[in-house]
Amino acid sequence: MAIDERKKIEINSIARLIDELDYYQILKVPQNASFEEIKGAYFRESRNYHPDKYYNEPPELSKKVTLIFKRITEAYKILSDQETRVIYNDGINSPNRAKNLRYIHGVQGGPPKEDEGQTPMGKKYFQLGKMAINNRDYKGAKINFQLAAKMEPNNETFKKRIVEVEEIIKGKK
Amino acid sequence: MGEKVIGIDLGTSTTAVAIVENDIAKVLPNEKGEKIHPSVVSFLEDGNRIVGTEAKKRLILDPENTVYSAKRLIGRKFFSSEVKKAQAIASYKIVEGDNQDVRIEIRRHQYTLSEISAFILMEMKRIAEKYLSQEVKKAVVTVPAYFNDGQRQATKDAGTIAGLSVLRIINEPTAAALAYGFGKGLQQKVAVYDLGGGTFDISILEIGDDIFEVISTAGDTYLGGDDFDDRFIDYLAELFFKEHSIDLRTDKVALQKMKDAAEHGKWDLSENLETEVYIPGIAQTVGGALDLRVKITRNYFAKLVYDLIQKTFKVCDEAVQNAGLTVDQIDSVILVGGPTKMSIIKEAVESYFFKSPQAGINPEEVVALGAAIQGNALIESSSSSLLLDVTPMSLGIATAGGLMDKLISRNTPIPTEMSRIYTTTRDNQESVNVRIYQGENRRYEENEPLGEVRLSGIKPARKGAPKIKVTFEINADGIVEVGAEDAETKIAQHTTLNISGGLSREQIEELKSKYGSGTAPDVTPE
Repeated sequence: MAIDERKKIEINSIARLIDELDYYQILKVPQNASFEEIKGAYFRESRNYHPDKYYNEPPELSKKVTLIFKRITEAYKILSDQETRVIYNDGINSPNRAKNLRYIHGVQGGPPKEDEGQTPMGKKYFQLGKMAINNRDYKGAKINFQLAAKMEPNNETFKKRIVEVEEIIKGKK
Repeated sequence: MGEKVIGIDLGTSTTAVAIVENDIAKVLPNEKGEKIHPSVVSFLEDGNRIVGTEAKKRLILDPENTVYSAKRLIGRKFFSSEVKKAQAIASYKIVEGDNQDVRIEIRRHQYTLSEISAFILMEMKRIAEKYLSQEVKKAVVTVPAYFNDGQRQATKDAGTIAGLSVLRIINEPTAAALAYGFGKGLQQKVAVYDLGGGTFDISILEIGDDIFEVISTAGDTYLGGDDFDDRFIDYLAELFFKEHSIDLRTDKVALQKMKDAAEHGKWDLSENLETEVYIPGIAQTVGGALDLRVKITRNYFAKLVYDLIQKTFKVCDEAVQNAGLTVDQIDSVILVGGPTKMSIIKEAVESYFFKSPQAGINPEEVVALGAAIQGNALIESSSSSLLLDVTPMSLGIATAGGLMDKLISRNTPIPTEMSRIYTTTRDNQESVNVRIYQGENRRYEENEPLGEVRLSGIKPARKGAPKIKVTFEINADGIVEVGAEDAETKIAQHTTLNISGGLSREQIEELKSKYGSGTAPDVTPE
């Protein structure tokens, strides 16, 4: 089954614009989308642009589709991890938006490193909190970040993280 | 008749080939009605080769010229522990080739592991062509989910040498899940417990609306059913040694006989609570021939392999945890691989997942069926199913401090890519070398080296001025590709990716024409 003309035009224009789109635009979801919405969008866009669906198309088209799909998975990967999503959001909502459309791991000029704690217990609770976020256990994360903040009352990262998880917990209800 | 894509499950111990016909996937039998073929290649004196059941019989008759379990060696370095271990017990000769690659020497001729695998793939191609009465040129071949880049590449090369265009390399557990869920409209989380002859994989998938999403995968490419056999053999050999002070493991024919006995004994213990091993005349002494006669109970065998089974569950813990799940959230468990037919494994898996594994799935056929379904989905773009697979290992680069700088973390959906900017550290530096590794250890030396990228022809400039963007891509086959460009001008930067070991494109083409032109005959046993 050949791909229709409209689809081809759509693929060409997305491929041309892709470096100007942020991850939310790529997944076609709002910035406050829930995890479930992001996942749903990932599946929807995968159905549209997975290279397997274009296996028999000419190479120039399948190359473009692969480019789009790789960006879709990148968007999904970064936005489905609360930790990287927060950093990414800061980047695209800053005056430097154009440079932060893609999440780049630890390159000079990238997002500043967080203060992950100065005391052994502060560090430990902070890491436990981050692990809880990855397991989508936001209540557990909040408790751990609060314990971390108790160890180091002046740590700005800890305070910021508590506010963030509180927002997620509220948003979920 | 339209073009057909075959699906091949190229296993450590056995291989199977399948196709999709009238929307139904099926495993193809050979002329004798066999669907599961031992992954054994025997080289005859007249220069001919045989593959499968007949070749397996020659393990006892002609052990030096009969190759088995080659998959344990494919894509590995000569100095790796797996190769050392195989060298100690294999009946055939394992030698070092170029680039620390492994070669198998038979009748003074050296074969690469890709060639050995190609001989098995050629046999599958032949079986399919005979069945379909038409030429087959395209295939989807499966590999263990935990295979690294080198092992995947060597498998793909084997397909090319066999005269097959390998449309896709897919992961065995993913293929199994596809065969299980295809066209059923399921909405569930599935665990695939895949214990093969030489490898163990676990994959957790979420199936919904015909999308098969791999959430996490983990594995051990040094653990398989062969290890269960080895425990059985060791037990037999130790008892015999205690009684007669003769080590049977040093005699290749005796070892092979014990291997056969262990295999039978293992299956016997799935049906019965006790089995007896009897091998007459296993050793010759001045006083005459000695027999081996040993009784073993199922419980005792379970004790012998207890730690091996527990090792698989450690890997399962990792996969379940990385999926962000607990075992009770998993809806179905699928067993894959011949060894999972053992009752002690079935029972252990059931108690680990708190549910009985899916019945009615043939663990030896399901992977080939999934490969055929995926092959069909690729050529029929109207197919509704979609596979979203992940990379099993993190990809990173070596840093000056000895640590690995992780660029693509494991369980990232593929195809995927990640870029990084490189610069020079000296004035007028002309080239930069980047070493790539795969694995989870923080220290790069503990991980698997993939190769080195050399960025050369950099225009003379002050140190730190050139900005070279290097893009690391993992394609849909799980194979790594590297590209580089000048970050400012976007002009492609010259790179050489020196994948450590493996065959060059020219070598592959050379081998392909060598075996494809019919100068090296294949014979089919009567």
